[in-house]
Amino acid sequence: MSEATKDYSKLPAVSPLGAPLDWAWLRGAKSEWGVRPKPSPRGLTMLDIAVGTYGEVPDHPTHRSMAPRGADIEPGTPDMGYILNDKADVWADNTRELYEEAVARQWSATRDIPWGELQELDDDVEHAMCQLCTLLTEVEMIAADLPAKWMWRMNHEFIEAKMFLCTQIMDEARHAEVFRKRALANGGGLLVSRNGATSLLRTIIEAKSYTQATALMHLLGEGFVLDLFRMGELIAPSEVEKRIFRMCMQDEARHVAYGTMHIRYSVEHDPDVAEEVHEALDHGEMILTEFGTAPDVSTALAVLLAGGVEHVEDKGFPMSMEMTKKQFSSYLARCERAGISRLERTKIPLDMLGIDIETIRNAGRTA
Amino acid sequence: MKINTPEFFSALAVEMNAHPERYQPLGEADMDVVIVMRDARRSPFAVRLAFEGIRCEHVVEAEADSPCEYRLDGPLAAWQAMFDDIVANGRATGLHTINSLALLGDDIALGGSDPMGLDKFSRFNQTLQEFFDGASTLLALEVAP
Repeated sequence: MSEATKDYSKLPAVSPLGAPLDWAWLRGAKSEWGVRPKPSPRGLTMLDIAVGTYGEVPDHPTHRSMAPRGADIEPGTPDMGYILNDKADVWADNTRELYEEAVARQWSATRDIPWGELQELDDDVEHAMCQLCTLLTEVEMIAADLPAKWMWRMNHEFIEAKMFLCTQIMDEARHAEVFRKRALANGGGLLVSRNGATSLLRTIIEAKSYTQATALMHLLGEGFVLDLFRMGELIAPSEVEKRIFRMCMQDEARHVAYGTMHIRYSVEHDPDVAEEVHEALDHGEMILTEFGTAPDVSTALAVLLAGGVEHVEDKGFPMSMEMTKKQFSSYLARCERAGISRLERTKIPLDMLGIDIETIRNAGRTA
Repeated sequence: MKINTPEFFSALAVEMNAHPERYQPLGEADMDVVIVMRDARRSPFAVRLAFEGIRCEHVVEAEADSPCEYRLDGPLAAWQAMFDDIVANGRATGLHTINSLALLGDDIALGGSDPMGLDKFSRFNQTLQEFFDGASTLLALEVAP
């Protein structure tokens, strides 16, 4: 770089209008001048630019302003009122990767769903699909509202985590959009919204800390919705719904991946957090179980699994039980991965559901 | 072309890599997958697929228990039925999508030791489905005069 050889001393001290001028920036940053990240084959990613001090995320940032991490920061910058000022409060080791993935895998609920292929369905199946879409339209936006509630409280040094949460907010807006569109698109419309859903959502939004909130939302709530979306392949009456569920599933899995690894990071760096997370999940599991077994949710799912009301008892409910088992198994395995084993503490009736505890425990050991 | 051969999966990889326009809208996918096809008459066939960005970069014959992020393991007949459906319809339909098959788990099972690896099956599912759907072009071409 040639800046060291140039003489800036003769530059004017005031503007033509008489305003004072500052040329300090022209001397370059203190240490990383000349550091040049190299683009990877897919472009210049956030992982590529995490070089030198720019890639070092402080455990306890000294600044509480919106100054970019790695800049020369003027002393006395205003305090933005951040309360999440420890890296362990928000960080996950996969944050940058997930942000890039999210940006690369955005899709459009308007353009990427083959709406023209929607078929006329039997009334019972259309009603069930609309009931499910009503519920999903309602619950999906909590995963946008919750990060929004906490993001402005996160120290700006953790910019990558905030950026990832921005992608999650966009994802959830799209999910609310796509399920609202599906409810309306085939003539059924939005059906019944009951108190149970809002009780669950209030539990999540009112969590005392961000890590409790992320345990309730990413690990528990979104983990269950992720498996519901996977199940969408079975409950979808046509290729249109299959595509909707599959695209939503991809997004949801990223959110769960962030939440799982955030809790792991948080617990590893502050073991006291584990009890805080357990307390949240003790309550959350109870509310989620009540919500999942609510009469309208379970019946709509059973009708979709059975392909109509005719086989709801001999096919719908047994398949629904099997899916519930899978949901709880996946959730408990993720808890093991996150470093907060729930196997000894959960009130979920594992025996009744036929969940193999050893398989889940092994998943935690080998991960 | 037999589906339980490295050549078949190499051909699927060539098909994917020749059509970035199909995979670009889905976005990049990075995953390390083992496909296992079991046949009572012989030892299992297994192939390891490494996806990077919008390409399938590596196809290598492997052991059924090779380390990977996730594995899809099932009888050869179930895989054959899936590919037959893809060839017949141009893409997997009904319960023949890989997500449906792995969700039911009756035939093809999703496995892996790390829940985060397993979740990659969900994160990149549409990419994997498109990869398998590529068989429609391959096998259709093979039966053409």
